[in-house]
Amino acid sequence: MMSEHPRPPKWADRFLEWYCRPELLEEIQGDAYELFAKRFKNKDLRTARRHFIWDVLRSFRLSTIKHFKIKISPDMMKSNLNIAWRNMAKQKMYAAIKIGGFAMGIAACLLIALFIKDELSYDKHYPNAERIYRIVGINKAGEYAGKGVDFPAPFAKALRTELPEIELVGRINPNTLFTGGGNPIRRPDETQNNYEEGFTFADQEMLDILQIPMVYGDRAHALDEPNELVITKKIADKYYPNENPVGKTLLANDNTNFPLKIGGVIPDFPSNTHLQFDFLFTLKGVNFYPGEQDNWDASNYHTYVLLRPGTNLRQVEQKMFDTAFDKYLAPLFKKNGMSDEAIADVRETIDLELQPIGDVHLYSANIGASIPHSDIRFVWLFGAIALFILIIACINFINLSTARSANRAKEVGLRKVVGSLRNNLIGQFLTESILFSLLSFLIGILLALLLLPYFNQLANKSLHFPWQEWWFVPVLIGAALVVGMLAGIYPAFYLSSFKPINVLKGNLSLGSKNSFMRSGLVVFQFTTSIVLIIGTFIISQQMDFILNKKIGFDKEQVLMLQGTQTLGNQILTFKNRLKQLPEIQNVTVSDFLPIVGAGTKRNGNTFAEEGQSTNIGEGVGGQIWQIDYDYINTLGIKIVEGRNFSPEMPTDSQGVIINQTLAEKLHFDNPIGKRITNGFQNFQVIGVVEDFNFESMRENVGGICLILGNSPTITSIKINTDDMSKSIKNITSVWKEFAPNQPIRYTFLDESYAKMYEDVQRMGRIFSSFAVFAVIVACLGLFALASFMAEQRAKEIGIRKVLGASVPGILRLLTQSFIKLIMISIIIAVPLAWYLMHKWLEDFAYRTPMSWNIFALSGVIVIFIALFTISFQAIRTATGNPVDALRSE
Amino acid sequence: MYRIHLGEFEELILLVVAVMDGNAYGVAVMEALEDQAGRSVNISAVHAALRRLEEKGFVKSEWSEATAERGGRRKRLFTISNAGRLALEQSRDVYIKLWSQIPGFTPNISFT
Repeated sequence: MMSEHPRPPKWADRFLEWYCRPELLEEIQGDAYELFAKRFKNKDLRTARRHFIWDVLRSFRLSTIKHFKIKISPDMMKSNLNIAWRNMAKQKMYAAIKIGGFAMGIAACLLIALFIKDELSYDKHYPNAERIYRIVGINKAGEYAGKGVDFPAPFAKALRTELPEIELVGRINPNTLFTGGGNPIRRPDETQNNYEEGFTFADQEMLDILQIPMVYGDRAHALDEPNELVITKKIADKYYPNENPVGKTLLANDNTNFPLKIGGVIPDFPSNTHLQFDFLFTLKGVNFYPGEQDNWDASNYHTYVLLRPGTNLRQVEQKMFDTAFDKYLAPLFKKNGMSDEAIADVRETIDLELQPIGDVHLYSANIGASIPHSDIRFVWLFGAIALFILIIACINFINLSTARSANRAKEVGLRKVVGSLRNNLIGQFLTESILFSLLSFLIGILLALLLLPYFNQLANKSLHFPWQEWWFVPVLIGAALVVGMLAGIYPAFYLSSFKPINVLKGNLSLGSKNSFMRSGLVVFQFTTSIVLIIGTFIISQQMDFILNKKIGFDKEQVLMLQGTQTLGNQILTFKNRLKQLPEIQNVTVSDFLPIVGAGTKRNGNTFAEEGQSTNIGEGVGGQIWQIDYDYINTLGIKIVEGRNFSPEMPTDSQGVIINQTLAEKLHFDNPIGKRITNGFQNFQVIGVVEDFNFESMRENVGGICLILGNSPTITSIKINTDDMSKSIKNITSVWKEFAPNQPIRYTFLDESYAKMYEDVQRMGRIFSSFAVFAVIVACLGLFALASFMAEQRAKEIGIRKVLGASVPGILRLLTQSFIKLIMISIIIAVPLAWYLMHKWLEDFAYRTPMSWNIFALSGVIVIFIALFTISFQAIRTATGNPVDALRSE
Repeated sequence: MYRIHLGEFEELILLVVAVMDGNAYGVAVMEALEDQAGRSVNISAVHAALRRLEEKGFVKSEWSEATAERGGRRKRLFTISNAGRLALEQSRDVYIKLWSQIPGFTPNISFT
């Protein structure tokens, strides 16, 4: 019997019959069957079936497949468009929700796409970008574990002489310790200084590596002489407008002994590069202290290389490391008295790698660097948000289309009866959905244009639509067509599948048939919305936590006066004059303040108890801050042991106040009187202060040594007043007496502190904006769905009312199925959000606890929004007169 | 004299069809390729090559009787046409001409 014969897989056979040209079918199918039979006889059924499938798939070729005719007649097209238009006009509310929701999704997507495109474009525009690398140092273990980009000054010279694979090596030093950052600047023939930012020291080679185009001057000789300076066009226009400033000079810090000669003018750096400078000082002939350029002990230089074409990256990295370590560092360690074993240990724990310049912006999350950068994770996150919002919008579209099927079913039935083919109907529904999509894109683009300035502010970018790019408009149109197709394909197949006989008899259980699918889609929408809402809450809670945590110092009403080093030796007189102002509580002069940025300085040291080694791996890391007698009182830092510095104690110049962390790391049970060293100087501990946060909350508090010293760039003033503007006026007038030619510059400590967490705040704002977007779009969908359901059940509700159902009872009836869906969404969303936000919070050493009430609150909010949305329709239906629903039967 | 391009695989198939003398059809050609030339190919490749050869006029085809192991389907039997024979001969001549010119290498074969 035939049935006892083994059969090839039915679907494969069907597939073959479907695609294959009839005139070829008999031959191909016959051969395939014959091979199947043979293989079954020689081997086994599984192999035979597998080979059969493979044969069928391999036979799927252009030359074997049928000509599927897609007939697009202009008349049909016109008719389809006409019908689509009429449908839209007939159902204005649904059409508006469909298009509006879709447009919002598209606008969000467009904005995020622009953002991502910009993020990905960083540093890709340098002519040799694929050969330019930034050197990254790796510490694999111990206290300093992590990556950094600061290298000793002579490292570049060593690479230049030892490695022929490296075409060029260049360094920049933007460190504020060496007057990088901001400085007062003036023309020699003027007296008024302007405070300018964006200074860095740089090698001539940097210009050659990056091949920066020149506005004025010769690139090959712009920085190759001592005291030369390259400025951007913006700065040139400010100081020497409408002329070629090459050869002219500028004065920095009022220093008339060293006029800076302008060697060249470069265009402003574009916004999409990590190198954002306006002044490049040459490093030629620079020694920040005697022997600095040959000192391997201090790492302050960011080093960039241009590799020769065809160089093997891994080999060069290895060679760089071997050369630098074995030839330069190891002898130095040995000289410092390190044993061979210890040196071998150090060799194991450190390494070098080359980071492509195009990766610097997005892949530097684990690199401690003074240059701000972004993070590839944000790019992924935003991409995911964009995708989800688009999916939500598509779901609305699908949901509404299928839910409205009741109204279209009769149309479909009738069309089929009068001879319409399924393909025609699919074509018609697809036309409709593409029309919707095109309209939505149009509105979405307008919306995005409208929101772009706001979004730019939100993301701290200057994005714009690349209309001038040839591909932009075609891509948009293509995307509109594809999205229209995708969103329309399911409704099209679903609607066109109705059997005319059922529809016309009225047997089709309209709209509710595929409620499972629709429920799933609603759950998806609300899960996404809830996750975004919870994310928003937790980010803002963390921000709150950062701003209000006890940080160990008092940041309120502290004014930081910048650039006070220009007062020279008058600074003490200035300080005392300020102290005489009644509202001023205290004044301190120190560049070292417990915030990051705003011109505050940092350094790196290793400490040990006197007599012990401070070598890598043995000492304890920390910073030395130079402060004055009033520092601790001005900032309200608490002394837990010992005492503050005092002018009456001349020995205090050798004294040091350490923080609890350092005391703990040095294993001092009784720190007062202990002597510590950083390898160069020795100090006696006279006091211990309570730990205060001086770095970002992302890190644990490190060790700190406070010593008496002169660091006069910033003068901090603690004010106690209700009238801040008057106090500022008083301070300004004192400043004018001392420095008539310097503009006064000040910031507030609490504002500078908040600024450190700008990225967190920005992230929170972006999250909340998109959460609002997602919720609106999801609610639009829910609203339409709810009104559709109410409409569908109008008769049922009419009868229920006639039989005595109460309004609340009917309301419950109409809302409970939706509430159930929202509940399911909450159950899915809570663990998901918990997991994601837990990951995010891991970036912070100090973090807010995630309490259950945030999750509960988010759930309640969503339920309320959903209830509110649904109840519009539900109340109207429940309170309506049953006669209206029942009379027309 | 016009030249028609004959691919290497096509030439092989054409040879097999000529050898099989009227019994050539998809599966048989495939098996012959494996036995005689050691080349294992998918049936779809054989079909495609046969189709191309037929389009070029090098083979002709006709239907056989229905067979049971093919589920009652007929075989499409291929025979070589005169044009096909001519193409094979041309190709052979070119090879021999070239072989004979390789220095110190005289093919010890004769065709009749």
